[in-house]
Amino acid sequence: MSLALLFKDELNGFYRSKVMIALWIGLPALALLLFYAVPSSTSGLSVAAFASVIVSVIGGTISSVMLAVTIINEKERKVYDLFFIRPIHRWELVIAKFLAVLLCVVVAGMLAVLIGLGLDTARLGTLPPAIGETIANSLLITIGMIGITTSASALIGIASPSVLVGVIAVLYGSNQVAGVVILPYLTAGFSPLVSFAVAMVVTAVMLAIACVYFERKQM
Amino acid sequence: MADNGLVVLSNVSKSYRNVVALRGVSLELRRGETFGYIGPNGAGKTTTIRIMVGLLGKYSGDVTINGVPLQGNKEKVNRMLGYVPQKAAFQEWRTVDQALSTFGRLSGIPRSEIDAKIAATLERIGITEVRNRKVGALSGGTLQKVGLAQAIMHEPELLVLDEPVAGLDPESRYHFKELFRDFRKEGKTVFFSSHILSDVEDLADRIGILSAGQLVHVGTMEELKEQARVGKQVSIELSMDQGAMVALKKVEGYVSVDNIALNRFIVHLEQSTDLDAAIHELITELIAQGSRIRSISAVSPTLEQLYVNYLAKGVHQ
Repeated sequence: MSLALLFKDELNGFYRSKVMIALWIGLPALALLLFYAVPSSTSGLSVAAFASVIVSVIGGTISSVMLAVTIINEKERKVYDLFFIRPIHRWELVIAKFLAVLLCVVVAGMLAVLIGLGLDTARLGTLPPAIGETIANSLLITIGMIGITTSASALIGIASPSVLVGVIAVLYGSNQVAGVVILPYLTAGFSPLVSFAVAMVVTAVMLAIACVYFERKQM
Repeated sequence: MADNGLVVLSNVSKSYRNVVALRGVSLELRRGETFGYIGPNGAGKTTTIRIMVGLLGKYSGDVTINGVPLQGNKEKVNRMLGYVPQKAAFQEWRTVDQALSTFGRLSGIPRSEIDAKIAATLERIGITEVRNRKVGALSGGTLQKVGLAQAIMHEPELLVLDEPVAGLDPESRYHFKELFRDFRKEGKTVFFSSHILSDVEDLADRIGILSAGQLVHVGTMEELKEQARVGKQVSIELSMDQGAMVALKKVEGYVSVDNIALNRFIVHLEQSTDLDAAIHELITELIAQGSRIRSISAVSPTLEQLYVNYLAKGVHQ
């Protein structure tokens, strides 16, 4: 019961935040702008695939920084005290935050892919070939990358002593870790499904470490 | 220790790296009592409270709540307590309603009852108008009231409050004190720390004094007076002073005299002094010396005087 309640609660907080609104509207717009303004950099890619990559890279960065900073601030202000004195497990709070951010960014990614798909259809006059596969691959990569950055950011937020350290660690840490998904896919021709599976394992491990650390941390 | 204590701390010690915050604190909180916890800054009051509510682990000694050991049973124990931290902090995106709804639900209030509970609690505390306001837009005092609301909404048996009236305006402080009296009538057990000693004196059935991590006194005001050996005091106001200071020093058991205002004196006497005899002697001396007395009476030492005296003497249990 607590986890469902906390998840709903965190979702309520995240989806209405300015960062998430920027993510949902700004990122698909930015993806389109880049696609049409710099056509040479996107040759061979569909709008849907390009938008998906943009959202997972930029959106993943923004949302992971936001998550880490939120946790650090709430920790410093002792916001969690009023949760911890109630009959809940600390890990439920970590999982709730992780799922809320993940869901928000995944929705942003899906929006971007759908808009891209609409534009691809308009451009080609028909649905692009292998449309189902394109969408599935884009989503798998997006979710995989965002899963890693978000879980790493949760861990960084819990462990960081200050916002500055947290932001630096997210920018130079969690986003680099997310490369384990996108690089084999883009450069070595790995199947998106394999990349996604690797991402889920990495995500689960980091989330487990974050939960255990949060349970034991003296605040 | 008797076994009817709602909260029992047995030989609790806690260190932060090389700094010892608590040294072997043993304390029993009786059911239905209001317990005031005082001590200088850094004495360990907040550490005691954070251990008591399960926020701090890694301490030595035992803590039981309602007979249940705190370590390993936090979930069970947490259902029966309400806690107000020194500075209640909430996620700033929430409205008061959202904050109370979440904390109420997490404390076990059914969804069907939550709206009515929030309304009743806010009304009781006198802040119904802030229900739909964002927490981030509230003043410090109002936030503290919301902090109290989240602590009492689920009607816990035990209330633990860390300096609950610090930062409140006089009217709110008065209202908080009235609420404390209501809690006592309802049979709730209240443990609170405060630096406002007049409030502690007003509200607490028993008082604990903490100094440098050690509990140096636990008892009622009367027991505190007895143990602190502050001595007795007589307040005198004269309408005409003809060298009263000289006359006052002649009384049996004289220790010192404070000239607190024009023609007003507090005479400090030894603990063993017979007050009636001393007052009679003071009147005789003053009249003989030519002063005119407007009023003379025995006065009780305040908690503040006792506290300062207690810490200065370093009296230990």
